[in-house]
Amino acid sequence: MTKNWRLKEIVLMSILGVVFGVIYLVFFIVGEGMRNILAPFGLAPFGYEIIYGVWFIAPIMAAYILRKPGVAFTAECIAGVVEVLLGSAAGPGLLLSAAIQGAGAETVFSLTAWKDYRLRILILSGISTAVISFAWHLYSAGMIALAPWLIVSTLAVRIISAALISGVLGKWLSDQLAKTGVLRGYALGKAWQRKRKHASA
Amino acid sequence: MISSINPSMKMVAVLLPGILLGLTYDVFTPLMYFIFILIVTFSMTHISILRWLKLFSPFLMLAVSFAWMTMLYANQTFSGGQEMFRFWLFEVTSGSFQTGVSVGLRSLCFGALSLLFILTTDSTKLMLSFMQQFKLPPKITYGILAGYRFLPVFQHELQTLRQAHRIRGVSRARGIKGSVNQFRRYAIPLLASGIRKAERVSIAMESKGFTDDADRTHYHNMTVKKRDWLFLVLMIGVLIAVFVLSYYFGYLQIFGRQF
Repeated sequence: MTKNWRLKEIVLMSILGVVFGVIYLVFFIVGEGMRNILAPFGLAPFGYEIIYGVWFIAPIMAAYILRKPGVAFTAECIAGVVEVLLGSAAGPGLLLSAAIQGAGAETVFSLTAWKDYRLRILILSGISTAVISFAWHLYSAGMIALAPWLIVSTLAVRIISAALISGVLGKWLSDQLAKTGVLRGYALGKAWQRKRKHASA
Repeated sequence: MISSINPSMKMVAVLLPGILLGLTYDVFTPLMYFIFILIVTFSMTHISILRWLKLFSPFLMLAVSFAWMTMLYANQTFSGGQEMFRFWLFEVTSGSFQTGVSVGLRSLCFGALSLLFILTTDSTKLMLSFMQQFKLPPKITYGILAGYRFLPVFQHELQTLRQAHRIRGVSRARGIKGSVNQFRRYAIPLLASGIRKAERVSIAMESKGFTDDADRTHYHNMTVKKRDWLFLVLMIGVLIAVFVLSYYFGYLQIFGRQF
């Protein structure tokens, strides 16, 4: 699988992991604000659910830009490793959940045989990531002990966050990047160039 | 000393107990293991207690908020027993109280294990060990290391961007539309320059003869010695011992079922 990846594609995944690792920290402050409001009602973890989609941006953007099998899974694992390298206090656990989330993102792309990268597929991929990561948290964070309505609404918030932040925002960011021309050497940039040629012809 | 344990082995030794602890819903098991982690942390490493407490406090907050949520909203399987106290519209029973404390203690265990790993592991050695022990392809190993080294550059660039915006009089954004715009103003240039760097650094590496050949020599040889296995056996062994002890005393609860 890794044989037909070029080194610059792997470095790109790693850099996506670093940039979104930093961006997540910014969002984290927003999440903490939400948490403090919700804390007395015992709904504090909801604050983080809202920004959960930021975790899934890296694999979806990487898959959308590079368009090769295994990219979504690897990019999320790399993002997890980068988080450990940066010395994030939650490091090793993040690595584990990154592998699970990456598998969730990859599933949808594999169902399209890694050919379809329209917005709906990216959103579906975000949703599948949210569902699979949620299943893991049901077990690891003991959320299975919660009342059914709370489990369902937490899952719903996470799905919406994933669809909006990783699906819609991820695609938008990648398209904006393609416009600047830096992606000329990658699959998405080439697709853009082809489109432009069609438009001018 | 834990800082000299092979990083890959340490990763396994920290992750496995973390996964297995997810099974328990009683107070005794995670509490005992948490005490064990504390003993390991302070007897086998040089971490100062103050520094550890500072890094650990976010986990404490998280654990308390998880415990509180579980206490208030535990479902029927987990909320048996007498009512202990009331809070506004919620009643907390002994069952849901116990489940809440257990879930909180479990996340404290995750936090302590995680800190034990992070504070005693060198980033570069971790990657080299992943390559040599877990057979991660060299292309991925060095690709990750190259990308991660750009972090200080990103921080510097973020600062430059901020100053450039300020000098041109771009004020802080207000409202949702404003913050989306602000996000774009920072994210796009950061990512664009990141991608250019990815390209440049990989061309530089390849032009100097870097290949993905797994049959390569290493400047730092990472090995697995007997003491690495001993550490793994210690971490897993004590966990099993705690499970057995807790079963023996009749505390053990897995998914709300008493054993």
